[in-house]
Amino acid sequence: MTPGNPFPATVPPRPPRISKWGDRIYLALLLLATAGVVALMVALVAVLVNGSGLAFKAFGFSYIWGYYWNPENGVYGLGPAIQGTLITSAIALLIAVPLGLGAAIFLTQQAPAWLRAPVGQLIELLAAIPSIVYGFWGLIILVPIMAKVVEPRLIKYLGWTGLFNATPIGIDILTASLVLSVMVIPTVTAISRDSIAAVPRSQKEAALAIGATDWEVTRHAILPYARSGIVAGAVLGLGRALGETMAVLFVIGNHTVIVNSLLAQGQTIPSLIANVWFENNTTLERPALVYAALVLLVITLAINLGARLVLTRSQAGRGAAAE
Amino acid sequence: MKFDRAARRKVFSHSMTVLSGLAIVVILVPLVSVVYEVVLLGGPAINVDFFTQPIPSACNPAGGLPCHGGGGVIVPIEGTLQLIGLSSLFSVPVGIGAAIFAVEYGGERRLARVIGMVADVLSGVPSIVAGVFTWAVFVLYFPTIAFSTLDAALALSVLMVPIVTRTCEEALRTVPNSVREAAMALGISKWKMSLRITFVAALPGVITGILLAIARSSGEAAPLLIAGGFGCLHPLSQGVENQTCALPLWIYFGANNPYPNWITLAWGCALLLLLVILGLSLLSRFTLERMSRRMRGG
Amino acid sequence: MSSTSGSATNPPAPSDTIVRSKGTSRTGLYAVIAVVVVIVIILGAGYAAGWFKGSSSSATANCTLPAAQTLNGAGSTLVAPLMFQWSQVYTASTVNYDPVGSGAGISDITQKTVDFGASDAPLNAAQRTAIPSPGVVTIPESAGAAVPIYNLPGVSGHLHFTGQVLAAIYLGDLTNWNNSALQAINPGVTLPNAAIVVVHRSDGSGTTFVWTSFLSAANATWKNTYSHSTTINWPVGVGAKGNSGVTTTVQITQDAIGYVDINYALTNGVAFGAVQNPAGNYIVANVTNIESAIKDSNVVFPSPTGDWYNVTVENAPGATDYPLATFTYVFVYTDVGVAYGSSYSLTKAENLVDFLAWIVGPTGQSYAAPLYYIPLSSSAVTYDTNTIHSLTYNGQAITVCVPTG
Repeated sequence: MTPGNPFPATVPPRPPRISKWGDRIYLALLLLATAGVVALMVALVAVLVNGSGLAFKAFGFSYIWGYYWNPENGVYGLGPAIQGTLITSAIALLIAVPLGLGAAIFLTQQAPAWLRAPVGQLIELLAAIPSIVYGFWGLIILVPIMAKVVEPRLIKYLGWTGLFNATPIGIDILTASLVLSVMVIPTVTAISRDSIAAVPRSQKEAALAIGATDWEVTRHAILPYARSGIVAGAVLGLGRALGETMAVLFVIGNHTVIVNSLLAQGQTIPSLIANVWFENNTTLERPALVYAALVLLVITLAINLGARLVLTRSQAGRGAAAE
Repeated sequence: MKFDRAARRKVFSHSMTVLSGLAIVVILVPLVSVVYEVVLLGGPAINVDFFTQPIPSACNPAGGLPCHGGGGVIVPIEGTLQLIGLSSLFSVPVGIGAAIFAVEYGGERRLARVIGMVADVLSGVPSIVAGVFTWAVFVLYFPTIAFSTLDAALALSVLMVPIVTRTCEEALRTVPNSVREAAMALGISKWKMSLRITFVAALPGVITGILLAIARSSGEAAPLLIAGGFGCLHPLSQGVENQTCALPLWIYFGANNPYPNWITLAWGCALLLLLVILGLSLLSRFTLERMSRRMRGG
Repeated sequence: MSSTSGSATNPPAPSDTIVRSKGTSRTGLYAVIAVVVVIVIILGAGYAAGWFKGSSSSATANCTLPAAQTLNGAGSTLVAPLMFQWSQVYTASTVNYDPVGSGAGISDITQKTVDFGASDAPLNAAQRTAIPSPGVVTIPESAGAAVPIYNLPGVSGHLHFTGQVLAAIYLGDLTNWNNSALQAINPGVTLPNAAIVVVHRSDGSGTTFVWTSFLSAANATWKNTYSHSTTINWPVGVGAKGNSGVTTTVQITQDAIGYVDINYALTNGVAFGAVQNPAGNYIVANVTNIESAIKDSNVVFPSPTGDWYNVTVENAPGATDYPLATFTYVFVYTDVGVAYGSSYSLTKAENLVDFLAWIVGPTGQSYAAPLYYIPLSSSAVTYDTNTIHSLTYNGQAITVCVPTG
């Protein structure tokens, strides 16, 4: 045996035979699959554009900021649904990000090791509950609580803000936002945890070494580092909130008008589509709903793409900075 | 007596700790509430009949139609299995194929990252949009079955493909290059190496991805409503070109009905769905943990 | 992955990162999981291929029908429980009913994807013109009623309402519960000094149709501004989805008023009001007085293919008749051979008419009342039977198996 040669001389290298065709067929299949995935993205937009053709011909882009939705009178406008979508998602984030970030901080910084995994798992379980279950839970549990306990107090103490001018029946934008926030929290928590965990220990140790309290370590040493990841997590959660249907359907009130109060009944784009899909009163209704789906798709894809880009850039940046 | 600055900082830090701990408690309240409600309302529905009998006629004790407590949700269960089977059939080969291509043939190049980016962006598609998409596709090419199990299954596979692709890709990337190099050095053809060695090594991660994708899609109701119609009231389980029935659909319909046995069955479906999804999620997490530990430690 | 370094003469030990080399129980676990997943997928595909389909039981018609067929219907969610009950009991054919909503049911029959469409409200002009030749017949197969429900904890019994007062409430003219108009018809009842929370439907509905027909008949302003329809641009109030949504909203919101179909009111035990009929009496709705209203209304049906939009059984003259009754309708093509083409066999046509005759016949109608639907009056049954006998297959009359009357 010659030194440096790990292979005994009795084993000759095998020449490739039919494997050339095997390789080719294999590659072809893989290419097909990959093309399928990419084509799917293109097809999504293309088919939806096609399906909304009638509505686009009738309304053009003004449908998107149309103020009124009244199909029986031939008035189609997505404005109310877009407003509702944005408001509910924004409020959901306003609630979910502090809570999720707080939970992530606690789990990564303060929680004893034995607590981290189980509590983390429990929070992840929130994401596993199907949204239709959230919808019904919202309707039978959260709505009465909002109507009888929370909203009257909001009107009483915060009515001066002008945000709560409506009869508190519990089925409104605010309740829908709360249900959405519950669904977004797991996403925010998980990504925040990952971002915080990715902060190099040296940062934390350096801050502790100069006598920072736990909170100061978090605030000055960790959060700035993890900030872009946390933001990306929040934006991903936003993406999820924008597309939620069943959770919102039961508790938002299905009133497709521009709202001026958090306690008013409103509408979101997914809830509008689900509600009106089988109404079928006019020939323009379904194309208008496909148009609405297209608008929702564009909004969610843009937000998702943006978040992913930020996330990858922050990870790359962190990797480079850690050198 | 004034607190000095150091003490103030310490108190502030402790109160922030308390607040963040409180955040955890607040977050867990809805979890407990939802699970409690579902178990409370759905528990009574679970018995042997629940899994073997079809939807019973509505009962109305106040009107003279007593509820026998019989009947079950075999039709929605079958429908959910049909949907899972079909959507897996569509999405798993496509997702795995794209992932293998990205890792084995794309490597570190831009191509692989683009495929990964496409998969990530696709994972953000709202479920109702997936339903509208496949409905529109069927209206174009198969208009007579625009509301069918096939259509709904396709919508679910749109949701599953990105999950399968991403997790499979990550699993394949954890297989160290030394394995591939060793295989190549032994003269194994590329496709055999990719499939029988690398892919098999990544199998746990791939299975995890499939389980996660199934867990996500089995609970979706919106795409089923949009693209599948509602076929739960058929006396027998139907072929895939008919309107679909599934656990989420019966939850939606039954709970909106005034008849007590249908309402109870709907909550039973909610409980079953919850248990199945939680089970799949935990199982997939479990295999993922074992796999990543093995990979890191091995 | 670290590999143990070897000496110059021994090749380094291979890194054991290949699954096969381990052969521990973990491999077994993964194998089991893989097998389970594959089984689930195969089972699912198998169900899709119909491996586990049961067989239908034998026919129970009154005479020998040709071979059992599959009949498909779609439409109203309101009649779904009754339709399903019928499909369970009537086994001469397999009847599949998809409760996708009245609007979708009408669109389905228009596109000929179903054998019959069901709706809570009759076809309006636009829907009628959209239906291709040879046109459909309208068959009232069941009936129901709308009742006003409310949430007033301090008020017991059934609050009295008139059409005028209800219209004023839904117009937004009466905004407080203790208004004089309502108090006048409820002497002795302490009405709370509270704002009325009006609840209506956010989706299209036959219940809205009958409710707004009643308001139109009672109040000229309502009639001229909103008239009657399945969807309204409501001036006041909050919208809830479906009868169940309105019921739930009223149940949890104090001082709320809404309208739902009778079966939701009775099964949920929610307080509902007595409505004044033309005879001047305040009637608390039940199956009996709705049934008598339909009988006493002496409604004159148009021709089966005619315009049914203004057919009403509201405001029947009898002393105990409930004034908010309505029919629900089934639509089938006048000539199924012409409508569906060669794919529709005579056998199927015979089964379709047999099913229709059965559901409006005494056996079918006997299932209505226990589920809080209203049985048809005998004149409606006679009319329906004649309509069903008038259905043709490529111009030929179809033998109806179920005996008439």
